[in-house]
Amino acid sequence: MAEARIIPIAPRAAGSGGWAPQLSASPPLALYVHFPWCVQKCPYCDFNSHAVRDDGIPEAAYRAALVADLESALPQIWGRRVHSIFIGGGTPSLISPDGLDELLTAIRMRVQLDPLAEITLEANPGTVDAGRFKAFRQAGVNRLSVGIQSFDERHLKALGRIHGRADAIAAAEAALTHFEAVNLDLMYALPGQTLAEADADLTTALALGPGHLSCYHLTLEPNTAFAANPPEVPDPDASADMQDRIEARLGDAGYRHYETSAFAKPGRECRHNLNYWAFGDYLGIGAGAHGKLSSHEGIVREARPKHPAAYLAAHHSGSFVAERRSLGAAELPFEFMMNALRLNQGFPRHLFTERTGLPFEAAEPGLLKARQQGLIETDGDTIRPTTRGRHFLNELLMLFLAE
Amino acid sequence: MQHIRNFSIIAHIDHGKSTLADRIIHLCGGLSDREMEAQVLDSMDIERERGITIKAQTAALSYRARDGQVYNLNLIDTPGHVDFSYEVSRSLAACEGGLLVVDASQGVEAQTVANCYTALEQGVEVVPVLNKMDLPQANPDGAKQEIEDVIGIDASDAIPCSAKTGLGVEDILEAVIARIPPPKGDPDAPLKALIIDSWFDNYVGVVMLVRVVDGTLKPKDKILFMSNGNQHLCEQVGVFTPKSQPRETLSAGQVGFIIAGIKELKSAKVGDTITLAGKPAATPLAGFKEIKPQVFAGLYPVESNEYDQLRESLEKLRLNDASLQFEPEVSQALGFGFRCGFLGLLHMEIVQERLEREFDMNLITTAPTVVYEVLMKDGTVEQVSNPSKLPDLSKVEEVREPIIKAVIFLPQEYVGPVITLCNQKRGAQVDMLYHGRQVQLIYDMPMNEVVMDFFDKLKSVSRGYASLDYEFKEYRAADLVKLDVLVSSEKVDALSIIVHRANSQYRGRELVAKLRELIPRQMFDVAIQAAIGSNIVARETIKALRKNVLAKCYGGDITRKKKLLEKQKEGKKRMKQVGNVEIPQEAFLAVLRVDEGK
Repeated sequence: MAEARIIPIAPRAAGSGGWAPQLSASPPLALYVHFPWCVQKCPYCDFNSHAVRDDGIPEAAYRAALVADLESALPQIWGRRVHSIFIGGGTPSLISPDGLDELLTAIRMRVQLDPLAEITLEANPGTVDAGRFKAFRQAGVNRLSVGIQSFDERHLKALGRIHGRADAIAAAEAALTHFEAVNLDLMYALPGQTLAEADADLTTALALGPGHLSCYHLTLEPNTAFAANPPEVPDPDASADMQDRIEARLGDAGYRHYETSAFAKPGRECRHNLNYWAFGDYLGIGAGAHGKLSSHEGIVREARPKHPAAYLAAHHSGSFVAERRSLGAAELPFEFMMNALRLNQGFPRHLFTERTGLPFEAAEPGLLKARQQGLIETDGDTIRPTTRGRHFLNELLMLFLAE
Repeated sequence: MQHIRNFSIIAHIDHGKSTLADRIIHLCGGLSDREMEAQVLDSMDIERERGITIKAQTAALSYRARDGQVYNLNLIDTPGHVDFSYEVSRSLAACEGGLLVVDASQGVEAQTVANCYTALEQGVEVVPVLNKMDLPQANPDGAKQEIEDVIGIDASDAIPCSAKTGLGVEDILEAVIARIPPPKGDPDAPLKALIIDSWFDNYVGVVMLVRVVDGTLKPKDKILFMSNGNQHLCEQVGVFTPKSQPRETLSAGQVGFIIAGIKELKSAKVGDTITLAGKPAATPLAGFKEIKPQVFAGLYPVESNEYDQLRESLEKLRLNDASLQFEPEVSQALGFGFRCGFLGLLHMEIVQERLEREFDMNLITTAPTVVYEVLMKDGTVEQVSNPSKLPDLSKVEEVREPIIKAVIFLPQEYVGPVITLCNQKRGAQVDMLYHGRQVQLIYDMPMNEVVMDFFDKLKSVSRGYASLDYEFKEYRAADLVKLDVLVSSEKVDALSIIVHRANSQYRGRELVAKLRELIPRQMFDVAIQAAIGSNIVARETIKALRKNVLAKCYGGDITRKKKLLEKQKEGKKRMKQVGNVEIPQEAFLAVLRVDEGK
């Protein structure tokens, strides 16, 4: 239905792929680097992570593969400036500081990196000490995201984390000593968690005073240990109470709630993640990394081989792309909204056309229904979710799914 | 005629009726090994899965007996459920004998008793057979004693057998010949043929399975249906072996089929008598009844654009199911659909299941109801088969509900809870008889109560040991009211039910409580109310869901998160939007799931 209403800006001959969106300018570009190893796999985690085996992490080989991967992707990002780098995992803080330094140097030598680029590294307590943090900072990392999850021993244990409360606090303190920009990841609605316990975690986090906090509702994702063997979690009303409490307290403490689960002091928003939510471009390198790249030919999504061994093998064959898919006009409105409507401040109208290459009319049927249901509001040129729309984001996004 | 034996098998569902039928057919060479499909007599998928027979089928078999003579044995299958008791009685009316199959390890089951009594009432010679003798726990003496106690027939020469291994099957056939009388009847008298069953065949039209009682029939004869006077030209006669085999004639004592170019199944009603137009019989055979649907429910497509498909599917089903009735109806809540009439709840379930399985329909079924008679103040009488259509009580003199005579067989240890259940259902005890350890309870009950959930409850309080047989008795005036359900202040006509005033408050409370469980939380509070007229008798609120959000979405998550949302959306599609509330299919049957035990 939605498809019939889409009028291409510059119609093309309908080939096998049909009509493709046409962009007038390249979106901003970010670089994501995936590090797929963890000390052990957590039962709730559905990310591409693998427990480190007895023979250790093949760090040098993996780094060489990352560089080769980047080189093979260079033609796709030719002439474009990279605004941010995010090294995620897994547990990328397991990389040796020297190895990380070499990797960042290799990246700088191959891409045009913004001198003020945000470079984030994910770190997990229990895998780091102050000395390593200092070295990471010297290598050029300027933002640290620490996977605290909770400060409560019982909940950390239930989540299968390798660290305890003291490790969590030590890691946060070390991070804050060496980095100006620090994010702490917290989770709530944990197995057996009470509102008071969620509150206590928040109190500890606020006392540490990071510039950025991510508070995630625990989700039982498919293909995880928790999905196979679900723990008893707070009911939806109890977890909604926790969410309300978190939002209220962080607001009082001067954090702006800028995305579904992200809170930041002014100026401390994560620029790399904002780029995802603004439907910008990103190149993803490393095992299982995903990329989204726009060109005059349209928008493609691509993915690297998922398993570390397959990825390392790809290095030898020279072909790092395991999947590549052009996005059709019918799915773009949904994909744009799925990201942009996560932003509490919403998006300006023109961003839709700028990032999808589709006329604004393509988004209108869904937006109309959303407005009728009180899920979005328009403020001048800005479209943003209402409080209701933020609470029922899934209902809002379903309005944009193609029939 | 001395070499013909007509018989059927009377058995509890899992006491091996179909397996024994297969054995008998096999032994008589009715089908070769290659053709032998397990349990050939139960041919419909659903029958096979549920282990019940819906359509009566038959096999004309040749058997060379130990006396050296060849006998013509007609095995007539009987449907096995209370909804089809009329069909059972017609099948048995076509037989001179019946094999009473009893599981030697379990003894007599209540279900068998009712059918066996029907057989004895019809004067059918009952030959007891003890099946499953191969099982180590077989207790033939105990089973014999039970047959004598419960059914009251001599079981001293019951035949031990195992349909599974084949043990004793030949003995059974010898007993059929020795103990079941050959048919009586005069091949030269005016034709009287009883329609045992009829069905629609895509190539030849209606096929009628008949038992010829008197006279002879051959192709080119002009036949007359005695219930309605319709005439048709007989095109073909034959027998099933169980494959169909044309014959030159069918005459007194024989069982076979007639094809007469009939296009509509309702022209060939089970129990009707066929005679010859040129030389008609003076009187029809006794026992014919017009079958009327007893239970009505609305069937609606979940997707309103599938209405035409639903109509076509129902039409196709009706080709082979004369007792299925339907007519278009419109519901404010559910849109366009059909009010369908069924013989009973099982029949309804079967139709529903076939629509979903064979025709791929996605359906909403409303709660089943009986037909009420409403005497208006102006003296006219209206039939109401849809509760939401009950006229305004200010214009009504009285509402009458159908009362049935329910016959329940059960082991005596369950008498207490079953009587309690019957009383809860407004039953009035007519009689209670003891047959050994089996008890026969006879109750007059409002059929409405039986239709709701009586059968399931009866099974549960008797742990499956009670059987129910019922027949319509009369219409009786009762203090009945319409209970409406309002969802977010909007009346949902498809949820209205008719209940006795004495139970109405309680029913209302239970119904809204059940709906509260069945309707998922929405983005806003949903009030569910039960009302009699403008009087609200019960209310529950489904509290609004407070959030529905995916916590994380980053660069690599898009595809997976999208699938998750697509799944959520798919789930919504299976619900019916009433006003702005999404109601799942099963909520429309909520009234059936109200638990009275609490």
